[in-house]
Amino acid sequence: MPGTLKRSPLKRPERPYIALGLEGSANKLGAGIIQHDPDGSTTVLSNIRHTYITPPGEGFLPQDTARHHRQWIHSVIKDSLKQAGVGIQDLDCICFTKGPGMGAPLQSVALVARTLALMFNKPLVGVNHCVGHIEMGRQITGAQNPVVLYVSGGNTQVIAYSQQRYRIFGETLDIAVGNCLDRFARVINLSNDPSPGYNIEQEAKKGKKLLPLPYTTKGMDVSLSGILSATEAYTYDKRFSQSAEPSPENDTITPADLCFSMQETVFAMLVEITERAMAHIGSKEVLIVGGVGCNERLQDMMGIMARERGGNVFATDERFCIDNGIMIAQAGLLSYRMGSVTPLSETSCTQRFRTDEVHVAWRA
Amino acid sequence: MATASLIINSTQISQGAEAKVYKSYVHTSFDSDAKVPILLKHRFKKQYRHPSLDTSLTRARVAGEARALLRCLRSGVSVPGIRMVDATESVLGIEWIEGKSVRMLLGGGAEGEDEQVLDPDQSFDDTTDASGESVSHLDPLEEYQVTIDGVMGLIGSEIAKMHKADVIHGDLTTSNMIIRHPFAAKGPSHTKLVLIDFGLAYTSSLVEDKAVDLYVLERAFASTHPDSEPMFFAVLEAYKNGTGKDWTAVERRLEDVRLRGRKRSMVG
Repeated sequence: MPGTLKRSPLKRPERPYIALGLEGSANKLGAGIIQHDPDGSTTVLSNIRHTYITPPGEGFLPQDTARHHRQWIHSVIKDSLKQAGVGIQDLDCICFTKGPGMGAPLQSVALVARTLALMFNKPLVGVNHCVGHIEMGRQITGAQNPVVLYVSGGNTQVIAYSQQRYRIFGETLDIAVGNCLDRFARVINLSNDPSPGYNIEQEAKKGKKLLPLPYTTKGMDVSLSGILSATEAYTYDKRFSQSAEPSPENDTITPADLCFSMQETVFAMLVEITERAMAHIGSKEVLIVGGVGCNERLQDMMGIMARERGGNVFATDERFCIDNGIMIAQAGLLSYRMGSVTPLSETSCTQRFRTDEVHVAWRA
Repeated sequence: MATASLIINSTQISQGAEAKVYKSYVHTSFDSDAKVPILLKHRFKKQYRHPSLDTSLTRARVAGEARALLRCLRSGVSVPGIRMVDATESVLGIEWIEGKSVRMLLGGGAEGEDEQVLDPDQSFDDTTDASGESVSHLDPLEEYQVTIDGVMGLIGSEIAKMHKADVIHGDLTTSNMIIRHPFAAKGPSHTKLVLIDFGLAYTSSLVEDKAVDLYVLERAFASTHPDSEPMFFAVLEAYKNGTGKDWTAVERRLEDVRLRGRKRSMVG
């Protein structure tokens, strides 16, 4: 619709607004403080994170993750206030992740948010985790109206904004891409420190062979569970050797080759569905958010695709890609400035919370 | 070689999800000077993909699209006719269809990029870009002599015909359906609605695949055209009439697919 003009419903603040964001939907615990100024600028005052890291070969269980969050939340919040140089009294609102995520960790953080709100008499704002990722990505990169690829341990979605909703155009039909990578890291016993995905990325750089894997895109959707099984099956192959050096000459299969093949195949599928969404709605900007979004190979591939279409890609680094508190503060403060507050009776958490359920009041 | 020079002499009209699309003119026969337009679909090399993965995917898709189109044509499904296939150059030439996609006709999609969002403090007059260009106010539906219900009926019945031929489209969206312009749709043999873009199509007689195909379309409707539930209902009505006794099985499976997994609502 060329030439259409729309007025942003979000008024400029008459004074600086400060929000605290608390995030703990998975194994990262984060607290961040953001400030919106009357001149329209946004400042990240602090962004503190503590990650629950499990031994190689193990994933994180809800109860253990919740225990970790309970243990660390005090110091994480204290650090974020100290770094920002503000007191809890200075806050305008306290934002927390309402969902989606793992039940127990979500609840443990929401409990802290409620306690703080009651102690210091501050309003609460419940935030959708996915919308937090999108808003932070838009804020950091300055992308106006991009197609969003949201890829993390629990989510794989292609999203675009239309009529005050972030609409899901494509998504995974089974497991999330981060889940696929993390579980494969467990199969080949890669370390979970700093994250399994990061170690897969490093391992893949040494890979030499592209092994055939299923390539399953269905329209703007993908299916990933079969790829995980197929890659895992290669580890039972006679040619597989855990310790051999990757080489293009012989036919041995090494963990590096498998990481390489998995990344190439899975990311090609993700780039393809993103491109299909761009073609379908006629957009030229892409924004990658979520933990898998810090993978540089994925960013590279997306960049090449966007250039082939005459567009560009926006991505952020691990500070904002990986789950963090600041994104919850950003999305929460936007909604608070539009007059939205979550009453105490509605501050429960939900494991299931679709991205398109949120009314995006702050956008035209 | 010949294909490459044909592309050089064509005009690119768009870049779809996986191919560049050109309009080209070819002679109808050796002794005639008359030229007819055709549409060339060039699946160019995707630099982001690993070369061997790209080659095998592209080859499979060019051949697959041609095969699916042929199968549809034999069964009387309204699809563009095939004019040429060049597997080595990854070019497919198909009949040119004068018309508009259903998505454009319904005015759906995410908001366009040209659209500007104003700061609330800025006044509308500040922007120089607000073009005074007069846009045609003729309702496209009127221009194409169709009603929304009519279009939905056509969509349903064409998909029904396609599924009866055991062709699964794989990427049913409102962008992949074209309504012929009335002046181009001559005679009763020309159905108004043409299904296009069979790049992800395959052959299957499974109820599951047909249900997923419909589900993909339902999702596309919901995300592209908000409040489209009654529209999609009309599509299913027409599909039901077109498939006859097969409908019960597809309907039951479609319910299953809707409830399945994360599509309904997801976990973390």
